[in-house]
Amino acid sequence: MEFDEKEVDKLAKLCRIECTEEEKKALCHHIAGILKYMQQLNEVETQGVKPCLRVQETHANVLRDDEVGDLLPREKFLENAPAHVGGMIRVPPVIKFTNP
Amino acid sequence: MYRFSAHALRDLFCKEEVSAETIAQSTLKRIAHYDHQIGSFLSVLSERVMEKASRLDQKRKEGKPLGRLAGVPIAIKDNINIDGQLTTCASKFLQNYRAVFDATVIKLLEEEDALLIGKTNLDEFAMGSSTENSAYHLTKNPWNVKCSPGGSSGGSAAAVAARFCPIALGSDTGGSIRQPAAFCGVNGFKPTYGRVSRYGLVAFASSLDQIGPFTTNMTDAAMVMEVLGRHCSHDSTSLAVKPEEYLKKIEEDIRGSVIGVPWSFLDQLQDGAKENFHQAIEAYKTLGATIVDIDLSLLKHSIAVYYILSTAEASTNLARFDGVRYGKRSQRAATLEEVYDFSKQEGFGPEVKKRILLGTYVLSSGYQDAFYRKAQKVRTLMIQQFKAAFEKCQIIAMPTSPMTSFPVGAIQDPLQMYLQDIFTIAANLAGLPAISTPCGFSSDGLPFGLQLLAPIMHDAKVMQFAHAFEKATGYSHKIPPLFDKMEHSS
Repeated sequence: MEFDEKEVDKLAKLCRIECTEEEKKALCHHIAGILKYMQQLNEVETQGVKPCLRVQETHANVLRDDEVGDLLPREKFLENAPAHVGGMIRVPPVIKFTNP
Repeated sequence: MYRFSAHALRDLFCKEEVSAETIAQSTLKRIAHYDHQIGSFLSVLSERVMEKASRLDQKRKEGKPLGRLAGVPIAIKDNINIDGQLTTCASKFLQNYRAVFDATVIKLLEEEDALLIGKTNLDEFAMGSSTENSAYHLTKNPWNVKCSPGGSSGGSAAAVAARFCPIALGSDTGGSIRQPAAFCGVNGFKPTYGRVSRYGLVAFASSLDQIGPFTTNMTDAAMVMEVLGRHCSHDSTSLAVKPEEYLKKIEEDIRGSVIGVPWSFLDQLQDGAKENFHQAIEAYKTLGATIVDIDLSLLKHSIAVYYILSTAEASTNLARFDGVRYGKRSQRAATLEEVYDFSKQEGFGPEVKKRILLGTYVLSSGYQDAFYRKAQKVRTLMIQQFKAAFEKCQIIAMPTSPMTSFPVGAIQDPLQMYLQDIFTIAANLAGLPAISTPCGFSSDGLPFGLQLLAPIMHDAKVMQFAHAFEKATGYSHKIPPLFDKMEHSS
């Protein structure tokens, strides 16, 4: 298994994180080293072993009643918003119009 | 006043021998005077705590019943939400983020009349073992300011070690309470997974994260766990069980008990650490415990398992930081895609980016079975190995860390840093309660930590064994010389 800067590029796109060339180099070097270390798990025989999804079985499918609880007031929420207009979060245009 | 334990302070306050305002003022004064030497706080809640203290004094005057933590100053790791206060997670991404609700643990502490004094430093989003990954400043070890306090809850550990406050909260995903507790010579407890509500803790790896306390003694740890260890309907992984009676149980004798030690797993320990651990085991023998050898051979793979599962979960949890609704939004961004791409680039530090990318890799199609699924299976085997070990003993003992604190900047290779957590990670993978308790000093005066683990739900048992050790050895009462003085005498 090869891990190179092309992989970093691909991952950065998937994660939506812009990376500089310098960052990519360091990330590639470090991640390749860690992945190599992780190969040790191949030594462990896991045929027929169930993957662990949760440490306590009682945690499966915990549901609560569908009742209205404490609500976050819109004004309070918007205090942390980077940009807002008319009580709504503002972002750059999602749909672009082009002149015919 | 800095020498008082939490329970002593509470008693003094309840007996009207000291006011909450005096406690709060003296705490703030001590932080203002000393914290520049170690940088344990990211923000100090001066106004808020003085208001609370004044209300508390009024409450006492009116003869109303006082809470179980009345007048006790407590510091909070800055990844736990306090309504209206900055919650930065030591990340630039959340530099100006103010929490919009109280975490359950905060609500519980406030209900018991605690004095919340400030938010402590951490590795960005709790990712690290030295607090060097904070986007704001370094935190230093009160025992030697050239050394690291450990991490990721380094600020909380240092604040308690320097006696700024008798209790602090941290979070532990792979050792982030226990390792800094060991490095700073204080107690650090990670409860059973689900014992303490995670509601309002900024998620790193949800199947591993757990909130717990730092204290200078086990009575305080028991006291705060009686407050925090209860079911919460806002956290679906919270255990629907009655709180344990920690204060009562820690007093029970450990004579006749059996302690398991995974001797072959400890082979690689360096001389100083090995000798220290052997001394701790001898102390337990003197207390009447029997020591048996147990097999935890799979624990050598715990770091590999952990860095697959925790990064996978982190890459999912941190996807919410997209620059849209709150937190950082890049000024350079002109399109929606650039809002995501640039905000994350500018907001996250190198370690966080690395873990998001790594987590995305191990979850991506083609690699999921080889990494993520494989790690989940080895996790199952580790849980089984712990179960088998606990057939032979009530408690497992091992060192908290392979070494004492290291100089700031000394570990540059990320894998070497990850290997710091070789002894602590397994407790998170298996959901076990585990503590680090002070266990003596190295030849250069740095603290060692002893780690104790018990089966799931036996939180009080862990504390009971730590309490017996504390009473027998007295290491918990040691204060770093630099901070063992009143403000005016320096």
